[in-house]
Amino acid sequence: MNKAIMRISLACLAMFVLLLININYVQAFEVNSLADKPLNSRVFDEQFTFQRGEILAVGSNGNSVVIAKSVAVKGTNTYRRDYPSGPEYAPVTGFDGIYGQSGIEAAENKELNGSDPRLAIRNFTSLLTGKQKQGANVQLTINAAAQTAAYNALVNDGGHPAAVVALNPSTGAVLAMASYPSYNPNELTTLDGTQFDKNDNALLRAAGNPMLNRAIQATFPPGSSFKIVTSSAALSNHVVASVGTKVQAPQPLKLPNGNFLNNDGDEQCGDGDPAMIEAFYLSCNTAFAKIGIKVTAPVLRQQASLFGLNQPLNIPLAVVPSVLPPVPDNDPSLTAFSSIGQYNDQVTPLQEAMFSAAIANHGKLMTPYMVQQVIGPGLSVIQQATPSTLSQAVTPQVAGEVQSMMLQVTQNPNGTAYRTAGPPATSIVIYGKTGTAENGINNSSTDDAVFSCFVPASSGQQPIAVGVIVKGGGFGADAAAPIAVQIIKAFEGQS
Amino acid sequence: MAAALLDQPVPMSPSRRRTELVMLLFALAVVLLAFAAASLGLSGKISGLPLYILLYAVLMGAAHLAVGRFAPYADPLLLPLAALLNGLGLVMIWRLQESGRNGNPGVQIGELTSSSTTMQVLWTAVGVAVFVAVLFFIKEARILQRYTYTLGAVGLVLLAIPALLPASHSSVNGAQVWIIFGGFSVEPGEFARLALAVFFAGYLVAKRDVLALAGRRFAGIDLPRARDLGPVLIAWAASLLILIFETDIGTSALFFGMFIVMIYIATQRTSWLLIGVALFLFGTLITANLFHHVMERFTSWLHPFTIANAQGISYQLIQGLYGMAFGGIFGTGLGQGQPYHTPLVQSDFIFTAFGEELGLVGGMALLLVFGLLVQRGLRAALAVKDPFSKLLAAGLSFVLALQVFVIVGGVTRLIPLTGVTTPFLSQGGSSLVASWLLIGLLIRVSNSARQPAPQPIQDEGMTQVVRAA
Repeated sequence: MNKAIMRISLACLAMFVLLLININYVQAFEVNSLADKPLNSRVFDEQFTFQRGEILAVGSNGNSVVIAKSVAVKGTNTYRRDYPSGPEYAPVTGFDGIYGQSGIEAAENKELNGSDPRLAIRNFTSLLTGKQKQGANVQLTINAAAQTAAYNALVNDGGHPAAVVALNPSTGAVLAMASYPSYNPNELTTLDGTQFDKNDNALLRAAGNPMLNRAIQATFPPGSSFKIVTSSAALSNHVVASVGTKVQAPQPLKLPNGNFLNNDGDEQCGDGDPAMIEAFYLSCNTAFAKIGIKVTAPVLRQQASLFGLNQPLNIPLAVVPSVLPPVPDNDPSLTAFSSIGQYNDQVTPLQEAMFSAAIANHGKLMTPYMVQQVIGPGLSVIQQATPSTLSQAVTPQVAGEVQSMMLQVTQNPNGTAYRTAGPPATSIVIYGKTGTAENGINNSSTDDAVFSCFVPASSGQQPIAVGVIVKGGGFGADAAAPIAVQIIKAFEGQS
Repeated sequence: MAAALLDQPVPMSPSRRRTELVMLLFALAVVLLAFAAASLGLSGKISGLPLYILLYAVLMGAAHLAVGRFAPYADPLLLPLAALLNGLGLVMIWRLQESGRNGNPGVQIGELTSSSTTMQVLWTAVGVAVFVAVLFFIKEARILQRYTYTLGAVGLVLLAIPALLPASHSSVNGAQVWIIFGGFSVEPGEFARLALAVFFAGYLVAKRDVLALAGRRFAGIDLPRARDLGPVLIAWAASLLILIFETDIGTSALFFGMFIVMIYIATQRTSWLLIGVALFLFGTLITANLFHHVMERFTSWLHPFTIANAQGISYQLIQGLYGMAFGGIFGTGLGQGQPYHTPLVQSDFIFTAFGEELGLVGGMALLLVFGLLVQRGLRAALAVKDPFSKLLAAGLSFVLALQVFVIVGGVTRLIPLTGVTTPFLSQGGSSLVASWLLIGLLIRVSNSARQPAPQPIQDEGMTQVVRAA
C-alpha cells in the first residue's frame, strides 16, 4: 500500500502548492485590481486615515502653490481635504469626498493616496520603519497668476456661464482652466455622510450647474473662430493660393438649396471683392462659406480632426470630444454653415485654445496635459511629463499664413478685435480670431461669444494660447476677448 | 524502489519526547506573542494575560504529558503543530470578539459574544480530554478494527440525524448539518467522518484482495469487476443524499474523496480513482442542474464581481478576498485590519482574517503548518506495519489535507466555496474536538510505527552468533 500512499502524498503536496500559488496571486498580484472592485469597504474606510498628497500649481518665481491639502480633523485620527482657493481651482482639483471624487483628485487618485505601484517600495520601507503611509504630491502645470486672472475675469464678466483654457503652445501644458459659475469644493470634504449628501444634492440642483467644468465637459458652437480651420483647409489644399488671393463674398450668399447665408449685420464684406486675409479679419461669413463649399465637407472634417476634433482626450481629466459631424450627403448648403462654425459644430473651450496653439506652434499641435510631475514622499520624482505631438495640423508655411491673418484681427484698425485685444487694449501683440455663435432653436438664444488667440514666444515673452467661450455673451470681441487679454497680461506680466 | 526501502523494519529510535517539548514551548511562545500583538494592535496596550491563554498553555502541557505516558514513541511534531494551530485560532477568535467591544476599533461581530473565546478554550479542554482518552483507551489503533461495522453504523446514523430532524433543530445558515437542542449544538458530520474512516479502513483491509481483482481491461486500465462496484456506488449515493438533504456540499465532497482515496490505497488500482472522479463529476453536474443551491455556488465563484452578485451571493466571498488583498504581503498586523467586513469571518472565513492581518507571509506559514501536519500523518502511515493502521492513518491525513484544500481554496476563490470548517482555527466545538480526536488517532498510529520491536530475550553471554560464509 505504500506506493499508493506516496502517490496520495504527492496529491496532498499538489493541493497545498495550488493553495500557496493562489494566495500569492490574491495577495501579491491582484492587490490593486481587487482594491478597485465594487463594495470594497476596507479601501473606502482606509482612505481618510492617512495624509493624502498635495495638489500644487506653479506660483511666481517657480515656487509651488498648494491648491489642495489634507488637514487632520481635531480629536480623530482622520484627515479631511482642504482647498485654500475654493471655487477658483474647483474645475482643476475637483473634490475628494466621502462618497465621490472628481477632477485631479479622481484622475490622480492612486498617486495621491499612495496606492500607485510606483510607490510600492516607498510604502514597503515605511512599513518596516513604522512610518505612516503617505500619498505622493501632484505638481500641475497650472500657472497661479493666469488661473487667478482667468477666474476673476469670468466672475467680473456679468454673470454669463463661461469657461476659459490657456495652453503653452510649445508643450501642450495647461496654464489655466477656469469655469463659471464654480462651486466651493470645501463643501464636499465633510466626513459626515449625511452632511455630504445634503451639500452634494444642493450643488447638483444649484442654478447654473456650478459643478459642470465647462472648460472641458461642455461644448458650444465655435462660430467664426472656426474660420481658422476653414482657412487652414483651404490653404493646405490649394483651394485658395495664399492669404492675398481674392475671394468671392456676395451678400447675401444664395445656397444651392435656395436658402440665404448672410454676413453679420447683413453688411457687405469690405469692397465686396476682398482678399482672404481681409475676409478673415472682417470675419465675413459668405466668403468662408463659399471657401468651405469648395474645400468640401470631408476635407474640412479631416482638417478639423487634425486640430484635435472628433476624438476624446485625457489630460488626465476626461475631455468630451469636440465634434464636426459628417454632413449628410456632403450637402454643400449644410457645408456652408459648417465651415463658419455653425450647423452641428460643437467645441470645448479647450478646443478653442488648441486651434490657436497649433497655429502658434508652426502647425504642430501638442497634446494638452495638466500633470507636470508626481513627487513621491522624500521628493523622489516618480512621474515627469514629456510633451508629445498630437498631430501636425498644418504645415509651418500654412501656419505662418494663418498667423498673418490672425495678427490683422487685432492689429488692423478694421479687425474685429482691434479695440478689445489690439493696441487700444494692450501693448502685447496678440494673434486672435473672434467668434459670435448663433445658437438655440431657430437662433432664439443670445449669441455665444468666442475668442481664440495666442501670443508667440519672443524675447521677454512666454508663449500662451487662450480659448474663451462666454455663453450668451454676445459679440466675441466684446465679451470674450477682454477675458483672454486679462489672462495674457497676468501671465506675461509676472515674468 | 523507495517503497520497498520503507517497508524495511524501522530502526531503533529515541522517543523524541524532549524534541516535542521544545517544539511545543516554541508553539506556545508564538501564540503568546500573537496574543500580545493582537492586543497591541487593537488597543495599543497589553491588558494583562487573560486566564484562558494560561488555561490553554496548561492543557497543551497536559497533552504533552499524556503523550509521554501513553504513546512515548509518537511523532514529536504532531502535537506541537496542532497546539500552534489551536492557539492561533484562539488568538484570532479573541481578536474578532474584541472588535468594536471595550472601546476597540471596528464593528461588533454579531455571532460572537464577550465569552466566545472562553467557550472556545473550554472546547479546547474537551478536545484535549478526548485526545487523552483516545491515547488511554486505544492502546493500538488496530483494536478499532474490531468495531468496523459498529462504527460504520454510528457514522451513518450521525450523518443522517440532521436530515431527519426538523429544520428548527438542525439548520443554521441554510446548511442542515446540526443537532440543536437548547442552547447546545453539535455538528455530527465532523465525528461521522472519523467513524467512517475507521469503517472504511476495516472494510477495505478485509476486502482489498477481492476489490483488487481485475475485471475487464479497457484503454490500458484494469477495470474492477462490476459486482465489486457496489460499495463505491453506495458511498456515492450516500454522499449525494447528504448533498441533497443537508445542502452540505463540503461534507459530501470530503466524505466521498476520503472513501475513494482509501479504496485506491487499499487496492492500488488506479481505476478506482478514475471511477471516483468520474462519479464525482457526474454527480456534481446532475446536482448543479437540478438544485439551485449547488448551481449558485458555481455562479458566485465564476462571476463574483458583477454588481448583483457582489451585493448578493458573492458578497461574503469578495469581502474575504478584499481582506486578503488589503493585507497584502505583510498584512495589516493582528488587530489592525478590518476582518469584521466579512460575514462569518470567525468560522468558514477565518483563513481570510489571518490573510488580512498576517498577510501573504502569515497565510503561507499557516498553510505550511497544515502541510506539515498532513505530512507527519502520512509518514506514520508509511512507517506503520499493520495494514489497518496504515490505511486509517493515510485516510485521516488525506481528509485533513482535503478539508484544508476545500475551505481555503473556497475562500480564496480557487474552487467554488463550500462550507466546511478550517481544522483547529474555526470557531466551534465539534470541529475542534473532532480535530483533536483525529490527531489522537494519528499519534497512536505514529507511536506504533516508531515503537521499537520487542527484543527477543536471550542470554548473550551463552550464545555465540556465527556468521555463515
